Amino acid sequence: MKNYVKIIGLIIGILLPLIPFQGIDYVLRVATLTVLYMILALGLNIIVGFAGLLDLGYVGFYGIGAYVCGLISVHFGWNFWSLIPLCIIAGALSGILLGTPTLRLTGDYFAIVTFGFAELVVLIIRNEIWLTRGPMGVTGIPPITFFGHALTKEWQYYYIIFGLFLIILMLIKRLENSKIGRAWFAIREDEIAAQCCGVNLVRYKVLAFAISASIGAIGGAFYARWFRFIHPDMFKFWESILILCLIVFGGMGNVWGVILGTLVLIPLTEILRNILPQQFVEARYLIFGALLVIMMRFRPNGLIPFTRENKK
Amino acid sequence: MLLQQLVNGLVLGCVYALIAVGYTLVYGVIELINFAHGDIYMLGAFFMYTFLNFGVPFLPSFILAVFCCIIVGILLDIIAYRPVRYSERLAALITAIGMSIFFENMALLIWGADIKRYSANLIPSFFRKLFINLPNEHIKNVFLTVSYLQVVIIVLSIILMIALHLIIHKTKIGTAMRAIAQDKRAAALMGIDVNRVISFTFALGSALAGVAGIFIGMYYNSIYPMMGYIAGIKAFAAAVLGGIGSVPGAMLGGIVLGMAETIGAGYISSAYRHGIAYAVMIFVILFNPAGLMGKKRVEKV
Repeated sequence: MKNYVKIIGLIIGILLPLIPFQGIDYVLRVATLTVLYMILALGLNIIVGFAGLLDLGYVGFYGIGAYVCGLISVHFGWNFWSLIPLCIIAGALSGILLGTPTLRLTGDYFAIVTFGFAELVVLIIRNEIWLTRGPMGVTGIPPITFFGHALTKEWQYYYIIFGLFLIILMLIKRLENSKIGRAWFAIREDEIAAQCCGVNLVRYKVLAFAISASIGAIGGAFYARWFRFIHPDMFKFWESILILCLIVFGGMGNVWGVILGTLVLIPLTEILRNILPQQFVEARYLIFGALLVIMMRFRPNGLIPFTRENKK
Repeated sequence: MLLQQLVNGLVLGCVYALIAVGYTLVYGVIELINFAHGDIYMLGAFFMYTFLNFGVPFLPSFILAVFCCIIVGILLDIIAYRPVRYSERLAALITAIGMSIFFENMALLIWGADIKRYSANLIPSFFRKLFINLPNEHIKNVFLTVSYLQVVIIVLSIILMIALHLIIHKTKIGTAMRAIAQDKRAAALMGIDVNRVISFTFALGSALAGVAGIFIGMYYNSIYPMMGYIAGIKAFAAAVLGGIGSVPGAMLGGIVLGMAETIGAGYISSAYRHGIAYAVMIFVILFNPAGLMGKKRVEKV
């Protein structure tokens, strides 16, 4: 079983960087979107999968990243590469802002507060027209430049997001097996027991929030410069749920599971968009709802469940 | 102006209270936030729409729609929640979110995304008549209009709340509900059919949500598949405000929230109308999670 998973992983790992060579722009766009969602899912997985807190407001951080990046590029003309650190800081700050007061909360209440946070973010974006242009959206965001060249080809964006994805993946794998990762797992398994064993709850929970939020913000920043248009409706509650679906489907807490879940579901939505008759297209999330319910019923730990490696 | 806002707030608050009670009942009994509850409210409005358009008269449509909501509520419990009842909390919560998405898209598929209205000739014209219309020749300085629909909403809500209170405190099944809320296992040992009582709880909550949906459908005269989402969240905020698990708390929370919302929309900013509910909810959870009338909970190891 383990080898079987590894071989599939290897094949996918070799295929992913080669996608731009198939030459169809639409497929490439879907691939870019998929990798972007992989980044978001990995980010959310830190809070939900590693630390065991159900965050329903992840899209709030994604939106903050997108708007910070979009607005600053439009008004001040910063380039993408110098905006990334800024978005990381903005994300981390908003993560800490949300993480600190919610420290005491667990389970359902935590989920509801994070949900409220994301809704407030969208409300503010929609209503503070002087700053965000509200429902008109931000238009005219410049493309990413690379040593002075504006990138306009789809494959260039694909490799940028793929590179970001690899860096984030490496970082998360390192974190997972570090002291920090173990502390998160301890918190997930039993908060009180973890505290008794000397895990500083405040520190590790806020850290989980900050890292997770900055990854979301990076995703948002890329999205703004890639799509070159952002609108409050892009950061609605459903996005949070969609990202949550990816994690639940793939296997909460398991990095490879999360990646696999994204690889299956995001292209699936695009395929559904194309093959379903017109009246069903808008309701294609019905399948996601049913999928969540069925997964929880029959395979609550996802496609590739999280297992602890036995290390001597 | 203020008086008018207060009356509008009271009407809205009564509707929130009707939905909030459903949240709090289910939470009290099985400790699950039933995310799909708001969608049952939405389905109530749509069932009413469908029956009216099939030519069923007003009152039978109303009863049939509420009855359909009860069926949906019971099915929701049996099909979705019962299998995950003894698994992790997270699993049950995600199931609830999944069912909510499912219902919303189902409604989208069946009734379409555009806003539907109850056509005026199908609703008794009695509801549109004005109960109070100020200023008139006697009272000149007060500006207030109250329609019969608003009066009916308030009165019927109060009657339903009293009925609910009686069911919970005076009947056998109500006693069983309270027993399960305290200790599911012990209740089962006392010979209570736990699954049946939980289904009954869902039925009660769904009936109230259905009534609320029909009221709002008539009051705002617009129904659409996503209406359950915002109303559900606000009702949940109301339940939290009152202290989740407490039925009188949910009623009080609903009315306070409804008034806060209309007054906030009238005097502070109508753009942040929905934001007020979210802000209230977040602050109550952060600073006083037990709510106005809830019990303090102690975490046991």
